[in-house]
Amino acid sequence: MYKYIITLVFFGLLSCSKKEEEVKLFSLLPSSQTGIDFKNDLVSTEEMNILEYLYFYNGGGVAVGDINNDGLVDIYFTSNQGENKLYLNKGNFQFEDITQSASVTGDGGWSTGVTMADVNGDGLLDIYVCQVGDYKGLSGRNKLYINNGDLTFTESAAAYGVDFMGFSTHALFFDYDQDGDLDLYLLNHSIKKPEVFTHADTKFNNQDEKGGDKLFKSLIAQGEQKMEEVTTEAGILSSSLGFGLGVGIGDVNGDGWIDIYVSNDFTEDDYLYINQANGTFKESLKEYISSTSRYSMGNDINDINNDGLPDIFTTDMLPEDPTIWMKSIGEDKQEVYDIKKKFGYGDQYVRNHLQLNQGNQRFAEIGLLTNTFATDWSWSPLIFDMDNDGYKDIHITNGIVKRPNDLDFVQYSQSPNPNLTEEEVYNRLIELLPTMKLSNYTFRNRGDLDFESVSAKWGLDQVSYSSGSAYADLNNDGALDLIINNINDQAFIYQNKSKEILGNNFIQIDLKSDQSNSFGIGAEVTVYAQGDKFHQMLSTSRGFQSGSSTTLTFGLGKREKVDSVLVRWNAFEHEVFYENTINEKHLLKKGEGKVYVPRILEKENVFTVVDIGIDWTHEENLEFDDMRREYLIPRKYSTEGPALAVGDVNNDGLEDIYLGEAKGQASALYLQKSDGTFSRQENSFFEMLSPAEDVVAEFADFDGDGYMDLYVGSGGNENPQGHVFNFDRLYLNDGKGNLKFSPNSLPPLGENTSSIAIHDVNGDGAPDIFVTTSVVTGNYGAKPYSYLLINDGKGNFKDETRKYFGDSFHPGMIQKGAWIDVDGDQKKELVLIGEWTAVQVYKQNQKGTFEQIIIDEKAGLFNAVSSFEDKGEEIILLGNLGENSKLKASVVKPLWLYHHDFDSNEQEDPLIFHYMGAQLVPFASRDDLIKQIPSVKKKHASYVEYAQIKKPEDLFDTKILDKASKHKVENLQSGLLIKNKSGDYDFNPFPKEGQFAPIKDFYTWEKDGIRHILAVGGFYGFRNDLGRADAMPMAHFIYKDGQVYFQQMNIDFNQIKGEYRALKTITIQGKLHLLAVRNNAKPVILSVN
Amino acid sequence: MRLLKSIFSVFAIAVMLYSCQPKDYSNAISDGSYQFAAQNKLTEIIINDIFSPPVASRIYAYPAIAAYEVAVLDRSGEYQTLMGQLNDFEKTNFEIEENVYLPLASLAAYYKVGTALIFSEELMQEHKEKAFKELKSKGIPNDVFEASLALGERVADHVIAYSKKDNYHQSRSFPKYSISNDPNAWQPTPPMYMEGIEPHWNKIRPFVLEASDQFKSAPPTPFDTEKGSDFYREAEEVFNVVKNLTKEQSDIAYFWDCNPYKVNVKGHVMFAEKKITPGGHWMGIAAISSRTAKQDWKGAAETLAKTSIAVFDGFIACWDEKYRSVLIRPETYINKYIDEDWLPVLQTPPFPEYTSGHSVISNAASETLTSLFGDNFHFVDSTEVAFGLPVREFKSFRLAADEAAISRMYGGIHYMPAIVNGASKGKKVGEFLVNKIDTKAEKLAAK
Repeated sequence: MYKYIITLVFFGLLSCSKKEEEVKLFSLLPSSQTGIDFKNDLVSTEEMNILEYLYFYNGGGVAVGDINNDGLVDIYFTSNQGENKLYLNKGNFQFEDITQSASVTGDGGWSTGVTMADVNGDGLLDIYVCQVGDYKGLSGRNKLYINNGDLTFTESAAAYGVDFMGFSTHALFFDYDQDGDLDLYLLNHSIKKPEVFTHADTKFNNQDEKGGDKLFKSLIAQGEQKMEEVTTEAGILSSSLGFGLGVGIGDVNGDGWIDIYVSNDFTEDDYLYINQANGTFKESLKEYISSTSRYSMGNDINDINNDGLPDIFTTDMLPEDPTIWMKSIGEDKQEVYDIKKKFGYGDQYVRNHLQLNQGNQRFAEIGLLTNTFATDWSWSPLIFDMDNDGYKDIHITNGIVKRPNDLDFVQYSQSPNPNLTEEEVYNRLIELLPTMKLSNYTFRNRGDLDFESVSAKWGLDQVSYSSGSAYADLNNDGALDLIINNINDQAFIYQNKSKEILGNNFIQIDLKSDQSNSFGIGAEVTVYAQGDKFHQMLSTSRGFQSGSSTTLTFGLGKREKVDSVLVRWNAFEHEVFYENTINEKHLLKKGEGKVYVPRILEKENVFTVVDIGIDWTHEENLEFDDMRREYLIPRKYSTEGPALAVGDVNNDGLEDIYLGEAKGQASALYLQKSDGTFSRQENSFFEMLSPAEDVVAEFADFDGDGYMDLYVGSGGNENPQGHVFNFDRLYLNDGKGNLKFSPNSLPPLGENTSSIAIHDVNGDGAPDIFVTTSVVTGNYGAKPYSYLLINDGKGNFKDETRKYFGDSFHPGMIQKGAWIDVDGDQKKELVLIGEWTAVQVYKQNQKGTFEQIIIDEKAGLFNAVSSFEDKGEEIILLGNLGENSKLKASVVKPLWLYHHDFDSNEQEDPLIFHYMGAQLVPFASRDDLIKQIPSVKKKHASYVEYAQIKKPEDLFDTKILDKASKHKVENLQSGLLIKNKSGDYDFNPFPKEGQFAPIKDFYTWEKDGIRHILAVGGFYGFRNDLGRADAMPMAHFIYKDGQVYFQQMNIDFNQIKGEYRALKTITIQGKLHLLAVRNNAKPVILSVN
Repeated sequence: MRLLKSIFSVFAIAVMLYSCQPKDYSNAISDGSYQFAAQNKLTEIIINDIFSPPVASRIYAYPAIAAYEVAVLDRSGEYQTLMGQLNDFEKTNFEIEENVYLPLASLAAYYKVGTALIFSEELMQEHKEKAFKELKSKGIPNDVFEASLALGERVADHVIAYSKKDNYHQSRSFPKYSISNDPNAWQPTPPMYMEGIEPHWNKIRPFVLEASDQFKSAPPTPFDTEKGSDFYREAEEVFNVVKNLTKEQSDIAYFWDCNPYKVNVKGHVMFAEKKITPGGHWMGIAAISSRTAKQDWKGAAETLAKTSIAVFDGFIACWDEKYRSVLIRPETYINKYIDEDWLPVLQTPPFPEYTSGHSVISNAASETLTSLFGDNFHFVDSTEVAFGLPVREFKSFRLAADEAAISRMYGGIHYMPAIVNGASKGKKVGEFLVNKIDTKAEKLAAK
């Protein structure tokens, strides 16, 4: 007995430790078990290699589908130099290679993508294989293997008119014209020198026979077993600019017609083809999407946040590991980026992009926010629920046998050697290209746009050069298994064991349509379960060169019940099915469901964009570029305008508007008329002072005559401190509504003003002004001079900063000042927020001077501050950089700014260090740093040495670093400061939807007992390796009991997009309006309903 | 002290006599070979560290001046110091110990100044140590070695101090070039679309020129996109020359390519192919000529110093014009107005077109070399052999300069006026230098 217990304990321990290993969700099955020993072996030769064919290492694809309708999903792999393979699923993860007997070898061609679809409408999945042909000894044509129904296929591409010979990447079958048959989008790639830019508009005229994309319309519905090319007439671009590496479908605008997303490598923008519902498409990327991956590879379209809207993921090649990142080619240098824009290309960044569908014909890009942006040289993204918890996860394959983006290779690999022939030089080059196998990436979706990297945790971290990938439930246990095509390694067959480990519920849907598109490709299925919805569109082309099965699997987590399943077969036919048994596969046949007519919900809008007849556009002087002068600054300070002030200038009881222009343009005053329209009032001073860049303005009666005067603050980061056009200006009202420039009212300080905060500091009844300043011109990181101006009552101001704040008052780079009663004593404190600083609160003491009090210690990159009262307490709103940035900060891993003249050349250098993993590394690339501080090259002679930097001390000697002034940032979230029970302020971040971009200003109001908050933001002037922040021009929240709730705005995005600078309220015809001004654009006026 | 030293020397000699026969080391360095070798190393490092042509000209000049200033100290009094002759080069006296071996001091000065101007210092150090070891094995005693090195250091320090005031260091943080939207303005070119390099090089202090714009070029042909206009025809000329390029012209274009940073792109694969800079090419020709003329080490030092000064000032004069006219390159113009897919023979370098740098600096150098070696000086230019190109023979420096100038047209990267006007600017720089600077003592005395 005793012995038995010991044994039991021992076994218990053993099984425990064993369980640790077994707990992984995915298990890589050996070929000895599966019988799948397919390998995409690549041999580089003199005739065919990465220098001869740019996509030599792109690898193969995989398509999965049940070719014999036996309920088991079969697998087809493509090979570049070998034979393609078809494996018949015999059940229990055992497969049989039937390639030869099925006659689907690929005939020795260079195969790329593969797609399964019932092309001829006989209820059997056919196989379409793409090939590269007519190029340097490659002679293959695309193959259409028509399924004979007896495990054999007949190659019929020529008969169908789709035996294309050229540079095919992938094919996608879908019914774009909704005539019931499957049409073909053929994704091809150009081979024309991608490095020589031609104007983006050439894509509209240029036709590349072998490299341009093609659209084929099936004529089956019209009675002919063939396809005809309709590329041009359907509006599909087919030029040599397109390096198509990914194609996906989704109904992105919700009109029931299938749209197409094409990811293009290199300089060409990606394409988003919106189906016009008339047999044509309109390329509309820029209307829907602000930036894309630069070297876009594969893509996938699926609903990532369960809002029923298709989201888009594209892959790129940014490494995550800092030691790889820092020695790899990153973003274009700023000047190259600018040139591409001149050639008409859009914003593209070298990183994965996650485009979140906003439902208003617009996507918000949140790859950075979700930390899914860096997965190295990536190919196939797949969005599917890997653990059946109801949230779709993301799996991404990566790997390149030869890494061309290694900067040491680019810069230093070639030493002149006269004894080598050109061929020998090329061979040596290929040998020198670095090679490194990495693990694929897996992101677990935890809901609320929160992703966790779990490749290792889930057992998916084997290193490989992976290419195409597909998911399917291979053993019919309800969990999606994963199949990956590898270069030079056996394909991965991962068994998903989540059923046993997690026991989550699921429901599987097969569709059967009544038309020749028998499997219902393109149908949208929404599963409703206990108040949640789960949405997918059936497509057999996903990821990279690959396709997943025709069965849709929906994870349900612990939900025990499905309420209904809605199938949208096409734009006009919707059916509801009540087959709702969970943990089962259901076959939903068209015509057997309940016909459903969607109700058009009249959405209640809080806001309406209105036109009040102000025809004014802010015109930024974009020819001045801060980054030409300061190579390392993270953002521009030359685009901080326009200025906005609202006040009744002519005492007619109607509020008027001052709009301050950028350098070179005259500012404008608009007077409100009684009918609610506005007329511009000329002012010769505005013309005269147009060389100054107006960034802020406020109306107040500064001289006590009962009329509104105007204070205008100047900035621009162009003129030196003290420059005449950096002086702020006071305009005094002559009592008739005329504003007259009063040159001697303000001391001539000439800083880059960022805000003015008006308050009667000395209690004499006259408004005094605290002026905040953002940056020292030409010296980011230095502390500019913010100051207090005391009013003599007649509108003459004197700088009395020292008197009130003491000699050691250096608040730093301040973005905004506000007077808020922070401590509830009915006296206002001065609140300053800014960059590289925590919220600073200055309280006026008995003597009338100011002392700092601390309410929150976490420094941020703050832009906005505002406040409102709730139950007698002040709530402080803080607009920060947000979380959708490469810059990350927390208390444990702060962001650092080191400011010092590191190379003693009389220019101070701002160095930003950020954490990557556990290492505090420079944000600047070695190239950028060398431009500013050439001596870095002496210490770090190669990129690989630079990539070894793990802390600032590895970059500069401690002696030098000791002299630097150091500033940290510990919080980048926007949110609110709210008093807790002990009377201290706690920071409470906004929801994720409020962290998509920097917030520049707030307005809050209460209506019907509801506290509304409108935030405006966006900023385009970041250096391009940070990228423009434009995912959230506006955000509407409701505040209740200490919590902030995000509200969809339901406004056409194109009416409100832009980078906002200020938000003010104005009453027009007795109604509350919000007036928001954008840089380099027209103001936006919202009426609040 | 002197007595003590003498005693010590006697003692030392005695020891040496005792141990072995003292070697006569007076010919350890007889000609410019060691300095040429050091210059070759410098060239290698300039290529490796990726210095642009103007910056490279600065790296060649200061070490050569330092080496020359030691040669001036030779008792023969053959040569005259450049101190007081070059702009702001202050006079100073160097203490010369008796046992100093001047050729070694000169070489040491060269190494020290050269090392101070590059990034890969250890490569230069390594080369120096190897040379010094070899020299030691030729019998130069330790004390002589030390004293020579010390003198070399002192001269080097003076030259380094001089170099620090040429505004180079400050210019590292001057604004980068902002691309203009004007249709006639230079635009970055494929495949790297690099920004314009050294937009403020005209703010670098020249050695002899009174100002960077002393020999201001006539403005380029007025920009025009009209077919048949002068400007269009100039572009068309480049287009046609490239279209009908002969083998000889193509050889000439590649021979004088001298692109220190050519990036080859094949799909995602990019690699930089680095070659000697144009200034480096002419410094190579200077060394070859010195060797051909069998100059001694002092003459070699003079040749390298003067040539490098000519090249340095040539770049300043040339760059002054480049960023004044900021003219569009043929590649950009032809792609836009003549043939969208046209590619030049050579990769277009990353700076404005007018005037041609090759034309200016080749002529400045050739005038200087002609003043030293005469007009009909035959030489075999093997400078490019290390880069896989053949040798070319020239009957005179001027003919070589002419070929270097026209090679840019064959390469498809310059219009004719940049070549013609560049050449004349270079000649003026060279002539001015030759007249202003006197290196030979008797000439100065005769004045």
